[in-house]
Amino acid sequence: MVEKDLLKTIVFLQDLPEPMLEKISLNTQIQMFKSQTVLFEKNQALKQLYMLASGVVHLTIRTASGENLILDKVTPGRTFGIAALMKESSTSFSAMCAEDSSIITFSSEKIHQLFVEDFKMGHKLMSHIVKLFKDRMERHTSQFLHYLAMHPEIKKLQENSF
Amino acid sequence: MVKIEDLKRINLFKNSPDHLLDIISREAQLSIFNTGTQLITINEKVGALYMLIMGQVAVIRQLTPDIDVILDYVQSGASFGISSIIQGATATYTAICQEPCEVITLSGQKMIELFENNHELAYVVMKDVSRQYKRYMDIRADMILKTIGKERDLKDKVYNIKYLSF
Repeated sequence: MVEKDLLKTIVFLQDLPEPMLEKISLNTQIQMFKSQTVLFEKNQALKQLYMLASGVVHLTIRTASGENLILDKVTPGRTFGIAALMKESSTSFSAMCAEDSSIITFSSEKIHQLFVEDFKMGHKLMSHIVKLFKDRMERHTSQFLHYLAMHPEIKKLQENSF
Repeated sequence: MVKIEDLKRINLFKNSPDHLLDIISREAQLSIFNTGTQLITINEKVGALYMLIMGQVAVIRQLTPDIDVILDYVQSGASFGISSIIQGATATYTAICQEPCEVITLSGQKMIELFENNHELAYVVMKDVSRQYKRYMDIRADMILKTIGKERDLKDKVYNIKYLSF
């Protein structure tokens, strides 16, 4: 069980009314992880959602050339491992603690159970996720177009068109 | 109104139970659009959720004033115009029919109203929409990594991919 006051520090849960936070509080736990602990690997089916209470977690991906790229440095208050909310969905990156970290974990099974018992909560949190995904999708698209515009082949194409 | 069987051909609704599909089917309409019809315009409000039964739709963004990039070709079974069911959202791309298209449309405003009265429907649809977004995001992230893969100058800016957490 995690205290409601600590749950309120998690951005993802901040708009939830008290009764919903109460239910989540009863179904979450806080765990301590040492620096360098690998929380999950890419393509792994996630069994829990992670909410960072303290510390830093790096989300990484390995490129075709074998390099590890840090895609995100997760700071306290942020949530990751959202694939846990989608059955049959695996994560597209790996997560490793960059410092000793305390993390609130929320079992995927419990989440689904809670959402089905309380569709209003399921609706609220899933709508929240859709909005966040839409924003993230737009950022990814803008970044892709930004990189594409800088690509030497595109620059050549532009030069040739003048 | 469309048949429940038609809705079951749409990936977004493949896991939805019949009693929810029945509600959706009463609000859905089947439309035919000609080649070149612009269904969605970037930065504008999207009126409907579109589900492609037959045909092909291009999802387009402008790279430079001279170059458009086709981000995706929507194929039969796929949905687009998710912004229509998100309060206050606008389109982030332009969508144009590449050939004559048979499309199921659902009024975004009507769906938002239904969601307020039926949280089960809202939860099931939003869960499937989030799954669809995740799939698209993974594809987009791969596109970024391929684009920057061999270019050292671009790779140095890879931190900009961030915001995987929220």
